[in-house]
Amino acid sequence: MSRGSGGGYDRHITIFSPEGRLYQVEYAFKAVKAAGVTSIGVRGKDSVCVVTQKKVPDKLLDQTSVTLLFPITKYLGLLATGITADARTLVQQARNEAAEFRFRYGYEMPVDVLARWIADKSQVYTQHAYMRPLGVVAMILGIDEEKGPQLFKCDPAGHFFGHKATSAGGKEQEAINFLEKKMKNDPKFTYDETVQTAISALQSVLQEDFKASEIEVGVVREEDKLFKVLSTDEIDEHLTAISERD
Amino acid sequence: MGDSQYSFSLTTFSPSGKLVQIEHALTAVGSGQTSLGIKAVNGVVIATEKKLPSILVDETSVQKIQSLTPNIGVVYSGMGPDSRVLVRKSRKQAEQYYRLYKEPIPVTQLVRETATVMQEFTQSGGVRPFGVSLLVAGYDDKGPQLYQVDPSGSYFSWKASAMGKNVSNAKAFLEKRYTEDMELDDAVHTAILTLKEGFEGQISGKNIEIGVIDSKRIFKVLSPSEVEDYLQEVE
Repeated sequence: MSRGSGGGYDRHITIFSPEGRLYQVEYAFKAVKAAGVTSIGVRGKDSVCVVTQKKVPDKLLDQTSVTLLFPITKYLGLLATGITADARTLVQQARNEAAEFRFRYGYEMPVDVLARWIADKSQVYTQHAYMRPLGVVAMILGIDEEKGPQLFKCDPAGHFFGHKATSAGGKEQEAINFLEKKMKNDPKFTYDETVQTAISALQSVLQEDFKASEIEVGVVREEDKLFKVLSTDEIDEHLTAISERD
Repeated sequence: MGDSQYSFSLTTFSPSGKLVQIEHALTAVGSGQTSLGIKAVNGVVIATEKKLPSILVDETSVQKIQSLTPNIGVVYSGMGPDSRVLVRKSRKQAEQYYRLYKEPIPVTQLVRETATVMQEFTQSGGVRPFGVSLLVAGYDDKGPQLYQVDPSGSYFSWKASAMGKNVSNAKAFLEKRYTEDMELDDAVHTAILTLKEGFEGQISGKNIEIGVIDSKRIFKVLSPSEVEDYLQEVE
C-alpha cells in the first residue's frame, strides 16, 4: 500500500485524508442529499412535529409500504432521511436497543439516550474500516419526563444535537434558513402552530403545495406522550388551516 | 477489534519514516474549535469555544467539557464523536481502578490509560486514529495537574496549553500571561482573554464553556450565567 495521499484509500474507507478529513463520511452526507427528499422537524412548547416528503417512484407501488417515519417505541419516533435500506437497518437496531433498555432498567429509554446510542454507533462506522457509515440522517422525537418535548438529529459523522427546529436532505440549507427566521425570537408554538410551521416550511422550501398523500407527518404531544403518525384526514385539516391563513 | 478482513494496520510507515495517518489526525485536530487549559497554584481551568452550526440548535443539549471522575475533567479539540468514545472508555477505566483499589484513580494513571487506548487505535487492524486531542484537568494528592493527550497517544504535562484552530496565537498569548504563582480566579480570567483573542463574533456565556477544579477536588462545569459573571469581570 503506497503512502502519500493515503494511497488513494482515503476515499474508499474511513481513514484520514491529508487535510485531516474523512471522505467516506462526507460522501455519506452527499448520499443523504442525493436521495432527493427533504425533511423538517419543529419543537414547540408541548409537542414535536416532523414532516417529510413521500416520494412514490412508481404508481404500481403500494403507497402504504413507502415510509420513512418509524415508531421505535410507543413514545419515541424516528424520521430517516437518506438511503431507505440503511434507514431500516438503523430502525431495527434502535427498536431492539430501546426494548432492551426498558427490560434492563425498568423505565422507557429517554430521547437523548437513544439519540446518543445512534450517534455512538455511527461513530464506530467512521473509525472502523470494516463497516461503512450509514447514509442516513435520523431525527428522533419524544417527550422527556424532565425536559419536555425533545427533537434530536443524528448524522453519519456521529454528531448529535438537540434542536429547536431542524432539517435534513436535499433542501436542508434553505429549510434551515427559513426556520431560523421563524424561530429567531424563541417562539413557544402550540401544537397546531408547530405542525403548521413544519408543513409550511416544507412547502415554502420546495415551492409547491402538497396533497395530504404526498407528505408524512409524525407528532408527539405532552398530553399523552405517544408517538403518532397523522392520517391523511388529519394532515388535510392542517393543510386547509395553512391555506386559509395565507 | 474489527473484522478479520482488516487484520492489518491502516496506519503504516511511509518511506521517510512518518506515520501519515497520525499526522492527518493532527490536522483534523488543528481545524477543530480552540480549547485551552491553565494550571494555577490552587486549581486548574479548562475552556473551549462552543460554536454551534445554527441558532436552531438547543445549546443546553451540548456539553463539550465532561468529567471523567469527580476530580478529573476533560475537554477536546477535533472530532466530537471520537471524543465521546474516549470519555466513555476513560470513565470505565477509572471505575475499574476504584473497584480494585478502593481509591480514586490518580490523574497520571488515568491519562496514561487513555493515551494507551489512543495509541492502540494507531496500531490495531482496521481502525483509524482518533481525530481529537484531549486536555485533562485534575486535582489529586499530587496537586493540580493538566495533561494534553494527542492522537498518537503521546501525553505531556503542561502549565498551560491550547489546541485547535487558533493554537499558535493562543499559546503565544499564554506564554506572555502565565505566571507560576497564578491563582485559579486569575487563571479563569486569562483563559477567557485567550479565547477572546481569536474569537469570531460576540463572546458570551452561551458560546464558550469553562470547567474548573479547585482544592476542594470537585470538577465543575460553570453554568452559562457563571460564565457571564466572569466575562463581566474581564470587561
